Amino acid sequence: METADLSHHISSRFNADLEKVRANLLAMGGLVEQQLEKSVMALVEGDSQLAEAVAANDHEVNRMEVAIDEECLRILATRTPAAGDLRVVLSIVKAITDLERIGDESEKIGYIASRLASMERPADRYREIKHLGRLVHAMLHGALDAFARMDTEAALRVAREDRLIDEEYEAIQRQAVTFMMEDPRAIRRALDVMWVVRALERVGDHAKNICEYVIYVVHGKDIRHTCLEDAEDVLRLRSGSRPG
Amino acid sequence: MIEPRPPPNLFSLTLRMWGFAIVRLLAALVLGALVGQFFEDWWIGVAITLSAFVAWQLLNLFRLDYWLRHRSIAKPPALGGIWDDIVTQVVRLYRRKRYHKQAFLQLMREVRNSTGAMPDGVVVLNKLGEIAWMNRMAAELLDLRRKQDIGLRVENLVRQPEFARYLAGTEYGAPTVIRASGTTDHYLSCHVLPYGDGQRLLLVRDVTRQTRLEAMRKDFVANASHELRSPLTVISGYLETLSGDPALDRELVAPVEEMRRQTGRMTAIIRDLLELSRLETTEYEVSGAPIDVPAMLAMLRKDVLARANRPADVRLEVDSDQWLLGDEPEIHSAFSNLVDNAAKYTPASGRMAIHWRADEDGGHFAVSDTGMGIPQEHIPRLTERFYRVDPGRSRATGGSGLGLAIVKHVLQRHGATLTIDSAEGSGSTFACHFPPRRLLPPQSRAMAEAG
Repeated sequence: METADLSHHISSRFNADLEKVRANLLAMGGLVEQQLEKSVMALVEGDSQLAEAVAANDHEVNRMEVAIDEECLRILATRTPAAGDLRVVLSIVKAITDLERIGDESEKIGYIASRLASMERPADRYREIKHLGRLVHAMLHGALDAFARMDTEAALRVAREDRLIDEEYEAIQRQAVTFMMEDPRAIRRALDVMWVVRALERVGDHAKNICEYVIYVVHGKDIRHTCLEDAEDVLRLRSGSRPG
Repeated sequence: MIEPRPPPNLFSLTLRMWGFAIVRLLAALVLGALVGQFFEDWWIGVAITLSAFVAWQLLNLFRLDYWLRHRSIAKPPALGGIWDDIVTQVVRLYRRKRYHKQAFLQLMREVRNSTGAMPDGVVVLNKLGEIAWMNRMAAELLDLRRKQDIGLRVENLVRQPEFARYLAGTEYGAPTVIRASGTTDHYLSCHVLPYGDGQRLLLVRDVTRQTRLEAMRKDFVANASHELRSPLTVISGYLETLSGDPALDRELVAPVEEMRRQTGRMTAIIRDLLELSRLETTEYEVSGAPIDVPAMLAMLRKDVLARANRPADVRLEVDSDQWLLGDEPEIHSAFSNLVDNAAKYTPASGRMAIHWRADEDGGHFAVSDTGMGIPQEHIPRLTERFYRVDPGRSRATGGSGLGLAIVKHVLQRHGATLTIDSAEGSGSTFACHFPPRRLLPPQSRAMAEAG
């Protein structure tokens, strides 16, 4: 398939139902993006009201997951899509699970933010968490953009960012352990920080999954358990071998 | 006077041209017949002449076809006779078409340059919300790709929930502000304008600077008010002590009373400023708890009756037993502000009434009075802070000047609107309209206290 034309090729074949469920998925993505952003902000700024707002909104995220799941089931049952369309529906079903989990992680971050809000702010004012939060949010945003555009190059680029996040995560973990060793009174807060950072790292993983679904839809190739270099090679071979 | 040349008579031109062609053909045929006759068979001569004629026309047809196919306008073939006329007409048509095309392209270029120069982003959306076209600024502000994103739904790429809600609505009255996605703290104002057949124009403007200034202003007001409160409390305290001191110098009694009144006013202003800044920073709607409106209104009426200056006739017209879902202190503050205003600005001989009713449009609270009324030109500005219709009079009656601003913000936080009807000399009605989702059937007391 001609990659350049693919998004338009697929879009023009989408009937209204598919387009609608795709739009709903991306709307859920938008809400989840905002939840993530708010939860990190609540923690960094010590804003417990914002944290509560995040927790309250999580049921909306769950509601959307159920609704979109039903829509996809209906499409599979009544329209029995094939080939590209089938891959799209399957990817949407998988993606909403990832998004819902991201919502849960954001809720967890929100709870911890509530707890930490009443405590004294540390000297570094959670600068690392803010930075990691931004990276992860950018990754999620990029993944959803790639899904909206069915852009595999962007998807690969974003998937690569997960490595950066893993590195940051490990650095913060090491730092937290150092703090705990230096001052046992800081253990409680350090543990909370580690929880938050772990949650963010998981969000990064879910975002990478979404990138992998984009490639699956466009190329029909499942790269979920392939490492990225191999995936790029496979894709390059595929696009090289296309006729004309 | 020079007579304008009469336009060439096209009909006579055509006639002449064709006439000439037919005459030429007939002459050729006659010549052929004569030559043929010379060789005994005149009709062979005619036949040969006709064949030659047909062959010549076919050749011209071929040359014309070839020329049209390869379109070298600069080199039209010279075919003679009517063919030349046809060639000329084709050349003219083609030139006209090219001229119009150039003019159109030039216009498009100018339009593109001017929209490129606009500091605001413009996106054209079709009926389905798909991007038909966008200018460079829109791509920059919304992080879109000018060529690739054509045909995609705009809300698939601009995913802020507030934006989706705004776009999906029917009322595009005021622009909505969204926080731009990305690492920096940018704010965008989005305004949608419907036009044509279901199409929409999306205007996007960067309002980061304005938003930051607003935030700074709000912080300043909150901080300043907070700081002013403590010195004021000290002064109030001392004045309170002085005024209660029986040994106070007689000349000082009146001045001390005046000072107490004025510090009372300052305290009220600061309290209202702080309330306003609190309301402003929490701009999302309250979820709220059940509020017993009929009971609250009965209390408000009792408060009015206890006032020194008020109209004699204070009525309660409660036509509904519905409750409200909201924040009780805020609603109480808003309602009592309106009730106090009515009492203040209505003479003792006048009337005032407190209304509460519910219909399919929601819940409606109103305070009507037969007081001095408000001139038409002041009504749109009434909810501005410190706005005074009649500076002399209202300062004397007290009040901070912030009451209506507080009412406006409280209503905003409950999804409600304020309407003001007034005529100078006959009275005013201030009404609060709550949407149906804020109405509750009357709850039991126990539930209200538990919730």
